[in-house]
Amino acid sequence: MPFNKQDHYAILGVFRDASQEEIKRAYFEAAQRLHPDKNVAAGETELFLEIQKAYEILSNPKRRNLYDATLPPEIEVNSALKHEILFSRPNLVSLSEPQLVYALLEIGTRAEKDSLPTPPLNICLVLDRSTSMQGDKMDMVKATAIQLLRSLRPEDVLSVIAFSDYAEVIVPAAINMDIKKQEGRIQMMQASGATEIYNGLQAGLKEIRRTLDPSRVNHIILLTDGQTYGDEQACLKLAEEAAAHNVGITGMGIGNDWNDIFLDALAGKTGGSSAYISKPKDIQRLLVDKFNALISTYADDVLLEFKIPEHVKLNYVFRLQPEVGSVEIEIPMHLGPILRDTPLHVLFEFLVSPPALADDTVELLNGALKASITVRPTPVPPIRINLKREVHNNPSMDPPPSRILSALSQLTLYRMQERARAAADQGQYDSASRHLKNLATHLLSQGEHSLAKTALFEADNLERMHAWSAGGTKNIKYNTRALLLAGQKEKTK
Amino acid sequence: MIVCSNCKHTNLDGAMFCAECGAQLVGRENLITQNITTKQFEDSSKDRPAASDMYQPFDGSDAWGSLHLLDTGQVLPLSVRNEFTMGRISEGQPIMPDIDLSPYQAYAAGVSRLHGVIKRDGNRVIFMDLGSANGTYINGKRLTPNVEQVLNHGDIVALGKLKMQILVRNS
Repeated sequence: MPFNKQDHYAILGVFRDASQEEIKRAYFEAAQRLHPDKNVAAGETELFLEIQKAYEILSNPKRRNLYDATLPPEIEVNSALKHEILFSRPNLVSLSEPQLVYALLEIGTRAEKDSLPTPPLNICLVLDRSTSMQGDKMDMVKATAIQLLRSLRPEDVLSVIAFSDYAEVIVPAAINMDIKKQEGRIQMMQASGATEIYNGLQAGLKEIRRTLDPSRVNHIILLTDGQTYGDEQACLKLAEEAAAHNVGITGMGIGNDWNDIFLDALAGKTGGSSAYISKPKDIQRLLVDKFNALISTYADDVLLEFKIPEHVKLNYVFRLQPEVGSVEIEIPMHLGPILRDTPLHVLFEFLVSPPALADDTVELLNGALKASITVRPTPVPPIRINLKREVHNNPSMDPPPSRILSALSQLTLYRMQERARAAADQGQYDSASRHLKNLATHLLSQGEHSLAKTALFEADNLERMHAWSAGGTKNIKYNTRALLLAGQKEKTK
Repeated sequence: MIVCSNCKHTNLDGAMFCAECGAQLVGRENLITQNITTKQFEDSSKDRPAASDMYQPFDGSDAWGSLHLLDTGQVLPLSVRNEFTMGRISEGQPIMPDIDLSPYQAYAAGVSRLHGVIKRDGNRVIFMDLGSANGTYINGKRLTPNVEQVLNHGDIVALGKLKMQILVRNS
């Protein structure tokens, strides 16, 4: 790994113009991770000493000035990550009405994917064992949990929590455990009680924190088939806490009765997303896929800290890959993981109001990307992201980049179903049904006949009965997401 | 502001897909409005070929008639079925016409997506305009939409500005 040992700023992972506050924070974070009391890995004590030395110099303004004078000019090259930004148009137009502009951010690894070691896992399966899970679902969950347990490498940790009205640790987080005994415990799980996600999540987070380690991929997989009542806010709080400890959350819903908006929000807090399991027999496939994705994690959660100037509004942020889903707009924004073979693609929609066009150049967003790379113990220098566009009098005639165009064409479908859902929620069934019919038309033209049929069927339901069919919303939502993912994959091939 | 050509929804400037119907707004050619004057039709009826030099497409096929596109000279045979809808196929269209005229500059000529229908009724050939935007003209005379009109061998049918001659096989 090419890494300049002399650059104290790079070692701490801060910009050269960082304030004392930022330097202090970066030092504390790094020191917690690399403290010799906690870390026994070879070479990490040396890293800790380097960080201490860097902090000693940078925290003292006098010494920092002296040190700054000796620095070579800053080279904006990030050794670990590379990124690219595409805009929907080369410039903004001087207009008296608001206008839209899209930016596509792509972040990938700089290293060859084969040369990277795979990170060890620290995963907690949080399984719903409420009464409704009885039968096929429970059997499949058990079988899959055992399969995953057997497939673990010696360095991996897998804990299992079962929850209903209370949570129980089925398999504790530990290295080198007796797999036979744990399999027996999984087999003995019985379905009974109600679904209270908070209990399960809390126990899961507690378990995962026993073996919490920044060099591992720390992740909670929540599997449920029902709604949780009243503890949603508490769950979201917990997810924020998880994110602060660099623990990701994925929500998987089985069947039709779970709350996809809630699971999306929960997972979104950590940069994850939710998945829909329509039939019990898909449980195994989806869980195994998720495990494989986690093993190939390069950076767990890319954070974007940003400022947006007045008169510019960030309307919508959507992750196109590796996991499809909308990203909650908050500071910092959790953009999600970068996989070794799948870069992170995020699309931003900005609404620019006329007062912003006063200057020749409009700044859309100014911020920094931060990522921690699982197989690399030292902090990664943040990447500065500064999105700006010039203002011209005439619109450019150049066609938009084809990558943005194709991404947006797929995203448009996803947003149409979102709009249909929002309209139906407000009781505007006619407009919801119209949106669905429009969606069906586009799906047909792309050859997605069965999904188009589903959309038309739901449009009909909304018109006649003013209600969705069971599972209709989820079916359309997750299948259009899958379509987006397929579209992206095809392009990279 | 961009007005969607598909559903007339007004979108913000810079939008790439219509927020209402999802149709693509940029990166494709714009619809150009063309003026069609009556003079052009008078001219066109003058070049109507005499019966003697009319194209004879029937080479033993079972077509009951054919369409001779005057601009490009191509001939589209009408066979097997007794009824064909005509129009052009574009993205995001629920109903497809049987005869797609888009390879013959139908878009620029002002052909609607579902423009008209041509059918055989015994020995007669009938054309009906299906409420197209730019209308159908037979020998320069505009048809009333949704009213059937009998065609004769050699009539010039114009879908918008796309002119074709109808050739009927005498059985």
